[in-house]
Amino acid sequence: MTLPLDLNTLNARGRWPPPDGPRVAIVGSRRPSPYGEAVAEQLAADLARAGVVVVSGLALGCDAAAHRGALVGGGVTVAVMGTGVDIVYPAAHFRLAEEIIAAGGALVSQFPNGTSPRRQNFPARNVTLAALSDVVVVVEAVQGSGALITAEAALDLHKEVMAVPGSIFSPLSVGTHALIRDGAGLVQNARDVLAALGVGREVLDDPLGAPKRLGFGLPKERDGILLHLSDVLAVSTAELARKLHLPVAEVLGRLTSLELDGAVRRHGAGYVRALRNGKERA
Amino acid sequence: MLATVDSCVLAGLEARRVEVQADSANGETKFFLVGLAATSVKEARERVRSAIKNSGLDFPRKRLTVNLAPAEMRKEGSGLDLPIAIAIALAEVGKRGPARSAFLGELALDGAIRHVDGVLVAARCLKKLGFDRVFVPAADASEAALIEGLEVIPCEHLAGVFAHLVGSAQITPTPFTNVVVDETTGVLENDLAEVHGQEEARRAIEVAAAGGHHLLLSGPPGSGKTMLARCLPGILPPLELAEAFEVAQVRSLLGDLAPGRPLDWTRPFRAPHHGVSMAGLIGGGSGVAMPGEISRANHGVLFLDELAEFQAPVLQALRQPLETGRVTITRSGGTVTYPARFTLVAATNPCPCGWLGDPVRTCRCTQAVVDGYQRRLSGPLLDRIDLQVGVRRVPLTELAAEPRGEPSQVVRERVLAARARQQARQGCLNAQLKPSRLRHLAAMEAGSKRTLERWSEQKGLTARGFHRAWRVARTAADLEGTELIADRHVLEALGYRLHDVAA
Repeated sequence: MTLPLDLNTLNARGRWPPPDGPRVAIVGSRRPSPYGEAVAEQLAADLARAGVVVVSGLALGCDAAAHRGALVGGGVTVAVMGTGVDIVYPAAHFRLAEEIIAAGGALVSQFPNGTSPRRQNFPARNVTLAALSDVVVVVEAVQGSGALITAEAALDLHKEVMAVPGSIFSPLSVGTHALIRDGAGLVQNARDVLAALGVGREVLDDPLGAPKRLGFGLPKERDGILLHLSDVLAVSTAELARKLHLPVAEVLGRLTSLELDGAVRRHGAGYVRALRNGKERA
Repeated sequence: MLATVDSCVLAGLEARRVEVQADSANGETKFFLVGLAATSVKEARERVRSAIKNSGLDFPRKRLTVNLAPAEMRKEGSGLDLPIAIAIALAEVGKRGPARSAFLGELALDGAIRHVDGVLVAARCLKKLGFDRVFVPAADASEAALIEGLEVIPCEHLAGVFAHLVGSAQITPTPFTNVVVDETTGVLENDLAEVHGQEEARRAIEVAAAGGHHLLLSGPPGSGKTMLARCLPGILPPLELAEAFEVAQVRSLLGDLAPGRPLDWTRPFRAPHHGVSMAGLIGGGSGVAMPGEISRANHGVLFLDELAEFQAPVLQALRQPLETGRVTITRSGGTVTYPARFTLVAATNPCPCGWLGDPVRTCRCTQAVVDGYQRRLSGPLLDRIDLQVGVRRVPLTELAAEPRGEPSQVVRERVLAARARQQARQGCLNAQLKPSRLRHLAAMEAGSKRTLERWSEQKGLTARGFHRAWRVARTAADLEGTELIADRHVLEALGYRLHDVAA
């Protein structure tokens, strides 16, 4: 497949082209689970530390988490937009866009300035995103997600596609599991991605050691509730109460207490374990 | 000859005395009706003329003037038909109107006396204004008979009333009904025993019932929000006498009382559709405002399903009554205040398609649409809803396997005990406690106070939100039978604050 456009004609704000170095696209659902969001952020931070330019789409959810992670890791990140570079969409990411530019990254777009968000422009943006990257990592994707369009485009352009596994119960991992089944590389940590890039053996951990999982320590266990919580799927208070044989009022109280400590958070009509990346968010 | 008869017109839950003066004098045969009568009263002329003739009485063939005093007050409604007819008939035979007696009733052309709305309100006010006797339509006599110390004459026909007044035949007064509170509950239409699973929402309903707290249920379609809401009246105590009286008065104004059984002990449950207008929900109409759904739900439950679909101004208007338990409405006919102390149960989908956050079905709404939908539930309104819980959809195949909960009867026992504690301590429900009284009546352990403060800092709770959580904690402690509020009560209360998190 050849690109329908010349990458040299992209409009850009910020430093463009970015500094030399491998480029990795991290894409995923606009409504990720807390797990997906944490993975995107952690992966981006570790890759940025290793000198990788993190490319994503400035969308809600995984995209924003990836950009944020890259900034936390002190790296350069590029946002490929489906609007003109002068229009930040969603508008809530205005600050994030400014931070990306301030950190030496760029907003780029194939669309002329003044292009407002249009449904039909985003698939083309996804192709450009793939074309700009050496490897595309899909974090979480439901079936038919835009992230899968990016992955498909990457395959057509002979780029490497990798995917992060998740829970088999989670609809958000259906797309990524399908990619893995079809041969996409499995991502358990930043090293897996770096290996695919063929760079930086010594960047993260000891190359001889066992691959380190993405490093989330479980919060300190207090009352057995955490064992019954997942970091992907929300568990309702009622369900927990039944499993623990406790009155629902008491379980609700304990969950609130854990929430105050930042160990759990609400998600949908239930609670999930809060994943902490070991560093505070910027 | 001149005859004067007393009556009244209603303005909200108050009645104003009206003197009906009829004077027949020599001159051209004419019938004047003066004294700022609205159209419905002006029409009385035609009804009265026919009713008098068809009752076998004489209609004066003279120059007839009927004056409704005081003249500056606008008069509406058909209840003045009877007093006008009586005044004319008495003037014709040269008799005075009876002292300390008031008349109320609409006339049919054949002289039969028909039902009018608001007889209970009128009777209560007339008693207060110093009247001893009321003549009311026989259909409404049971309403007036609830007022102690008032002789109630049930009127079937104009001819009969006239005969009673001139002394040719007597009407037996309807005796005073001494009401006793009916403690028994009938068969519940919706019993909590039929709700499978949903333990968290069940608990929230119990807390809402115990402390009089407002409740928001949020969840996908088919998760049982409506069913849960309908279970609430069944775990509330029956109305007390004073409450039943207030409920009956609003119903009386609207002509909504069950005939022959004016007092009802079950708590009202009102569920207006989301298309309801401002006047329909809050109260309104031309002239003097009539009570709306919130006043019909007084001392009961107001259920607003699909909260986000209600018009924004209508929801905004709920704020004042939610705080004060009353609503004051001004219309051209004057300002009236109606009681509106209800427990609000609101239900909403998390997004327009309803599936946001559902573990199985995927939500198809864009973020902007979801944001817009949730913005419609304004912060100030949600801030007034103490209990907010997410309701999950239980798949049909698993529904039968979900554990059955306690029946309403058992939950009701606990609710009654908790309410009794509150009444004994403070004379009102926890939801109605003012912040200043909270400090004295809802003492917290030092640790639990710190918990509450930590949460307010983390989530940016408003002062109102802070006090709401405090009140709910008070109720949780009351349900347990504990006087001092412990950490677990505060934590439970904070667990019901869904929208501190979403914000």
